[in-house]
Amino acid sequence: MKDDKSKSSGKLTRRQFLVGTGAFGAVMLLPGKLVAIPYAIPDSEGFLLVDLKKCQGCGTCMMACALAHSGVASYSLSRIQIQQDSFADWPDDVSIAICRQCEDAPCVAVCPVRPIRANKPNPKQGYVRMIDQDLCIGCKMCLTRCPYTPSRIQWNAYSQKSQKCDLCVDTPYLGEKGGPGGTQACVKVCPVNAITFTTNMPDQESEESYFVNLRGRAWSKLGMTTE
Amino acid sequence: MANHGYTGKILRLDMTHRKATAIETAPYRRWGGGHGMGASLFWDFCKDKTITDGRHPANVCCVMTSPLCGTIVPSAGGRCEVVGVGVGQYPISWFTRSSFGGRFSTMLKYAGWDGIVIEGRADSPVWIDIRDGHVIFHDAENLWGKDTWATQLDIRKLLRIKGGTKTHWQDLQALALSEKDESRGEDFGRTTQKPAILCIGPAGENQTCHAALIHDAGNGAGQGGFGAVWGSKNLKAISVLGTGGIKAHDPKALLQARMITKEKYVTSWETPDFGAWTRLGRLPNPIIQVPPPTSERRPQSCQGCINGCRARYNVGYGNESACQETSWYGPFVRKVAKTSAENTEINLKAADIVQRYGFNSFVFQTGLHWLEHLYEDGVLGPGRKIPSHLPWETIGTLDFAEKLVQALSTRTDIGADMADGWVQAALKWGREEDLHTGALQFSYWGVPEHGYDPRAELEWGYGSLMGDRDTNTHCFNYIFTNVSAAFAFGKPLRIRAEELVNLHAKKLSPYAKGRPEVLDYSDANMYSEAVAQIVRWQQHYCRFYKNSALYCDLKWPDFINTNLPDLEGATASPDAGEHVFWNAVTGDTLTFEDGIEIGRRIWNLDNAIWVLQGRHRDMVHFAPYIYKTKYNKGELFPFYMWPCRDDKGQWRYTDLMGRSMDKDKFEEWKTTFYRLEGWDTKTGWPKRSTLEKMDMGFVADALQAAGRLGEEES
Repeated sequence: MKDDKSKSSGKLTRRQFLVGTGAFGAVMLLPGKLVAIPYAIPDSEGFLLVDLKKCQGCGTCMMACALAHSGVASYSLSRIQIQQDSFADWPDDVSIAICRQCEDAPCVAVCPVRPIRANKPNPKQGYVRMIDQDLCIGCKMCLTRCPYTPSRIQWNAYSQKSQKCDLCVDTPYLGEKGGPGGTQACVKVCPVNAITFTTNMPDQESEESYFVNLRGRAWSKLGMTTE
Repeated sequence: MANHGYTGKILRLDMTHRKATAIETAPYRRWGGGHGMGASLFWDFCKDKTITDGRHPANVCCVMTSPLCGTIVPSAGGRCEVVGVGVGQYPISWFTRSSFGGRFSTMLKYAGWDGIVIEGRADSPVWIDIRDGHVIFHDAENLWGKDTWATQLDIRKLLRIKGGTKTHWQDLQALALSEKDESRGEDFGRTTQKPAILCIGPAGENQTCHAALIHDAGNGAGQGGFGAVWGSKNLKAISVLGTGGIKAHDPKALLQARMITKEKYVTSWETPDFGAWTRLGRLPNPIIQVPPPTSERRPQSCQGCINGCRARYNVGYGNESACQETSWYGPFVRKVAKTSAENTEINLKAADIVQRYGFNSFVFQTGLHWLEHLYEDGVLGPGRKIPSHLPWETIGTLDFAEKLVQALSTRTDIGADMADGWVQAALKWGREEDLHTGALQFSYWGVPEHGYDPRAELEWGYGSLMGDRDTNTHCFNYIFTNVSAAFAFGKPLRIRAEELVNLHAKKLSPYAKGRPEVLDYSDANMYSEAVAQIVRWQQHYCRFYKNSALYCDLKWPDFINTNLPDLEGATASPDAGEHVFWNAVTGDTLTFEDGIEIGRRIWNLDNAIWVLQGRHRDMVHFAPYIYKTKYNKGELFPFYMWPCRDDKGQWRYTDLMGRSMDKDKFEEWKTTFYRLEGWDTKTGWPKRSTLEKMDMGFVADALQAAGRLGEEES
């Protein structure tokens, strides 16, 4: 965790300020010959963390996510993606792809919509990186710009727009307040509590920093490793 | 019709002409989904309902979802129902059912299909490739002969699905397509998921009675021999990728009920009660019948499950197998295994073998003991009356397990005689006496007893016989396991007998509400009207809630739940009962009792099909040993504990072992049952008056035309 960042949530760091003002090169050439301008944004005040060794692969988080946001149960509309291979062995049989609410979110930087970006931190909701569905033009640039596999941006085939995890800020069907400080459907619904929420920004240099061990005493009593 | 919960379309596969068409779901909506919808489709599309072998070309096999599939309804979102005429039963292979879990039904729904109707017979092996609304018939010559796991992995390769669990979003259009496919260029969605594949192995290809349908590593539809049905149709596999979704009528209510289930009815992770008496409210734990091979594992579940009952390990075997398939070989392995670890390893690898061959291991439950006795008695073996060159002297080894399953899957060795049914093989071998002595414990319709003997656990045995197969319905069976385990291991009896039956009676609406005596299985009550009511309740409940809405048999109903102060489980509850979820998804306004009534309708449709196939009450009998011998040897415990009233009317947990069934009294019980169901007590055939009250006059017409309509009482 980057404790210093969590304490300064909502404020620009020196590095962000420098990047934002172009002192170290305002323009970056990104793979795919697209040009994106680094964009200084405040840190998100919330993050999901997951335990890959604990997930039972029930897909309930995916279906609940899609239901809470759109009223439709679906894998493809889910902001969290569980991939499992029935013919692989533990622990390589399951992976969980969550939006990292990146410090320097490429999906935000690449959003071409102006004067107000469609994809941006929401200052009223803990600077969660959100795609405004009214502004999104469906160009799919954020989809391709997300550096993780699978992309943490989903293509909504119904609306022909991009969507992403908003920590349940915009969840008309959740029935309770979402977002940082509120409920996240995937966290709450997971039968084995393999997903959790934190306000501490994980280490941005490490993919593993979003993976945590959530297996406690009960897990051990059930005969499964907590290591 | 509002499509909440439904996709609105059913896929009709004409195997003979390799043609796929869509039919509307709407006309079948009254049957709910799953079994009810499948039975109705069978009624409409099977042109010869007198067939008695599922391998007949006229047979129609339906693979059905429910409105709850692909949603978060706890332990209901991932089940799938299969119906059609089965294979290998005795004396008649009935119109029957099986089901399996995993991801298939969810993926099928997301592809836009409520179910699949499979008709006819292809002239050579094919596999079906479903991607959203696009359906492609592929030649399966290169898959034929392969086991179920190799088949699934090969189909992934054919579709160019990337391996691993960290793959990019896949545009379905970019996947390999047939050159003949006319859908190229149309819009496809995106997914990160692996295709869900349902397939057969060698047991199905060779059309043997013990052939299962297998999906992923360990989901199987075993009973009914539907693997043989697919084999007869030259259908090797169906692969599905879906990128759509299911619209819920009230997503907020659905989410809320799911959260209530977790937070109220399931024991907490912080202070868990591992010994809780509940079916829904436990923590995930594999129900394998041997010690787990390692702690390096996870629970693994069907889609939407509240507590997974299987596991994946890091040892490379046993993944996703659970329950009987992990113990089919157990009694024999114990004779050769030198350590507990070796015992576990052989048993789980034996489970892998039946999964790969697509073999229903349940026939071994009592059947393998019988074969072993025939070998030990000098009847079966090389040069003996029943010739067999299998190495019977090595029974218990992994090598023997594979040789045995291979023989029975490929019609070789004794498998040649057993492919059409185990009782049929016994008769062919001149072993009819074994059905009288109980050496062959195939107690109803030519299928094995389940470990819950009809002479003790009445609703299981009676329900199986009045139905079409080993009911494999665990609505009440946990009473036996919980109470017997408490007696056997000195565990606390969490609920006293009288309180337990009263708690159940609260939820047994409509037939047995407030009637705890329906659970009294004492000698004095075992042929009573009350026991007939509990059998009715279970059949009707299951035909709708379990077999059609597709609530998991291992989690529902949740009558009692020691996680709650009042001990009342989730079943029929106003906050997280079965009907609450149904209504949240579909927009219906069913009461719990409405669901039971739909189940009664489905049960009547089933019985009408059985009657057209040839059923008459005169053939509704247990195997002779049930009447002629006493139940003296339990499979799990040396006693069979159950709540009964004593001579003074006091409820006590009582041992039900040591009794046989009285045939004459059971005949009287059948009369009572038929009367309660509104069926002709002389024949067991449905009556017009009964059917018309359920808006099923069309069924009465068909029965009348066949000369098999029950007579009205004068």
